[in-house]
Amino acid sequence: MKKIASVVTALVVAGGLAACSGSDGGSSDSSTITIGSIHPTSGALAGVGGLMDDGAKLAVADINAAGGIKALDGAKLKLSSGDSQGKAEVGQSEAQRLIGDGAVALVGTYQSDVTQNVAAVAERGRVPFVIDVAVDDKILDQGYKYSFRVQPDATSMGTSGAESLAKIGEDSGTPITSVAYLHIEGAFGDSVFKAFEKEAAKQGITAVKEITYPATNFSDATTQVREAAASNPDVIVATGYFPDGVLIAKAVSELKPDIRGLYGIANGAFDDGSFPQASGASGQEVLSANYHYDANSKRVGDIRTRFEKKYGKPMETASILSYQAVEVIAAGLEKSGSDDPEELREAISGIEIDDPLLAFGGPITFDERGQNKNATVIVMQIQDDAVEQVFPKDFATKDLVFPVGSNG
Amino acid sequence: MTETSVSSPPAHELPAADDPRLKDTWARRQLIVLVVGVAVLACLPLVLGEQGESVAIRTLIFAIMAVGWNLMSGFGGMFSFGHAAFFGIGAYTGAYLLVDHGISPWISMIVAAVLSAAVGVTIAYLCLRYKLAGSYFALATFAFAQMFLLIVQNLDVLNKTEGFNVEILPSDSWSMLQFQQGSPLYFWIPLAILAVAVLISILYVRSRAGQYAQAVRDDEVAASSLGIDTMRARLIAVALSCGITAVAGVYYTQYYFFVGPEQAFGSAVSVEAIIPAVIGGIGTIWGPVIGAAVVGPLSELVATVLRNPPGFLSFLQGTSGLDVAVYATLLIIIVIVMPKGIFGTIRDRWRS
Repeated sequence: MKKIASVVTALVVAGGLAACSGSDGGSSDSSTITIGSIHPTSGALAGVGGLMDDGAKLAVADINAAGGIKALDGAKLKLSSGDSQGKAEVGQSEAQRLIGDGAVALVGTYQSDVTQNVAAVAERGRVPFVIDVAVDDKILDQGYKYSFRVQPDATSMGTSGAESLAKIGEDSGTPITSVAYLHIEGAFGDSVFKAFEKEAAKQGITAVKEITYPATNFSDATTQVREAAASNPDVIVATGYFPDGVLIAKAVSELKPDIRGLYGIANGAFDDGSFPQASGASGQEVLSANYHYDANSKRVGDIRTRFEKKYGKPMETASILSYQAVEVIAAGLEKSGSDDPEELREAISGIEIDDPLLAFGGPITFDERGQNKNATVIVMQIQDDAVEQVFPKDFATKDLVFPVGSNG
Repeated sequence: MTETSVSSPPAHELPAADDPRLKDTWARRQLIVLVVGVAVLACLPLVLGEQGESVAIRTLIFAIMAVGWNLMSGFGGMFSFGHAAFFGIGAYTGAYLLVDHGISPWISMIVAAVLSAAVGVTIAYLCLRYKLAGSYFALATFAFAQMFLLIVQNLDVLNKTEGFNVEILPSDSWSMLQFQQGSPLYFWIPLAILAVAVLISILYVRSRAGQYAQAVRDDEVAASSLGIDTMRARLIAVALSCGITAVAGVYYTQYYFFVGPEQAFGSAVSVEAIIPAVIGGIGTIWGPVIGAAVVGPLSELVATVLRNPPGFLSFLQGTSGLDVAVYATLLIIIVIVMPKGIFGTIRDRWRS
């Protein structure tokens, strides 16, 4: 009998523990409006996740400093942060917590699989969700009404990556006809590659060799790069995250295949501010087609300067996208004049935001799927240990060097 | 992690199986605990907030997996390091049948359990047939789980790396196992599944098949010399284990609305099946359940404390990743101080 009693006690205690973790009722009085931010602030992606969370925080601080939401009598914004730990199911429960605490909108989450889960929660909780970074097309293919994406999706990145590459080849006088494409295994790499392959055929790039590498335990790219070089391509293309991108650049510079350039598409490394340092000499003149903050914009320069002062780290594109996503929500609040999530969704779906922080081909505005119509990629290149914008001309900060090494 | 952690009380303390009174009291006691426990836990959704409930549901899914894992590895002594394979079969069977064929998840649970048991028995038969034991068996199961991950990533019919999204229905549906977000049914259904899984454990441990499996675990040579068909005893344990784990997988897809290769077959999933059983006590009825109740809410508790820390901890505010450190420390302490797990150690203290 004693044992039963204690087992029951144990169960009750366990129940009590779980109960403690319940929400402690986020107070949202009429003068503050809560926005939930979900990013991987711990785990393997904590670096970029932390920067993104800080980017959203800075946006909230800036909007409040400028007088809050004017349409709501200067109501102040408050950012509640959630940690997805990089796991889809944790992201889901964080989204539920934030909505339960009265968040009127969510931003997040960097990873496509986590974003899928959060989008489902937002849809069922009827709260608008502005995706800052997550590339997979499929997230918006569900016909969700409450999800909006600022960045271009995988298909448009793969497609415009191929267009830009073909154009760069033509401009240099020798069209590009063959490519070896290295990409990470998984939805991200697969979907970008598929779109590239389709568009490349239209652009006259007839030979496309696909080589994949594993997402985990990838510590040396020599084998894959050697395989890529064996097909004697004009250009090696790479799609993946930061660590693998650095490995590929190093392997290319070691093996010195006879190519006209290394070209990233949606690559997490080749246009990151810390890439030139991480890759050293091997990063020189590497090209990268990606969404990117607009380096020519004064507003961006000001935000990045203040960010670095406040948080001690340079503000990368992902972080700028989080800032931009919060601005989208704020503009929606101004437009609807209400903090009701339903009306906010209505407002965001018909919004038009001029002067985006990213090098996009026009204002931020969403189609019926929730995708930003004017999200585009531009091409960057590492020159003198800095990421420079080189193509198209409108966004260029430096002249393009192609084929690489043609400057002597 | 050695096999020595798999333990059972010395023979003279076990009630003799042929004494009906003793047998009854043991089984009856377990059943009373089960009924009372379920009744107490069933009240949880009434006190938890929506987010607390989602953590509780995640904990229940862990618990079902751990109870399943424990049948094969705890009572059967075949250490599986690849239970993601069976969880994944469940998650993908449910997703595929629902998304591509509109079949109710209730039916998928049965289909997935049978399919997973068949796959598990095949794998275990191959491993045992070629005399893989201990860590070699564990590595083989791990390899199979990784193999399934790669197969799924390359199968068009299973959407390759994209995974499956469950369609959101406009209204509640019992047949499609879909309710309003935050509905307590989302908690009660896995609670019922867990109760059934524990009931199966109790009945199995008491049954002839279960006794055989434990005898084979403790001394295979002795058991087979007494005429026990060792292969058969072990395969029954494997079949039950894989079937239960697959049901957890079906429910996962249903609750989270999305499953991809990594969520179903990733090696983290295999670890999540093992940890609660290790912490609670391997080879005990209640160990996996208690272990899950400790591990499941842990990171959430730590994160909640850190969001609004009490005065003396205020310097920790806003740090992330501390839950992982706490988790690791707890794991080390438990393995050192309570080698038989929380439940196993406490039980042994009482008995002495």
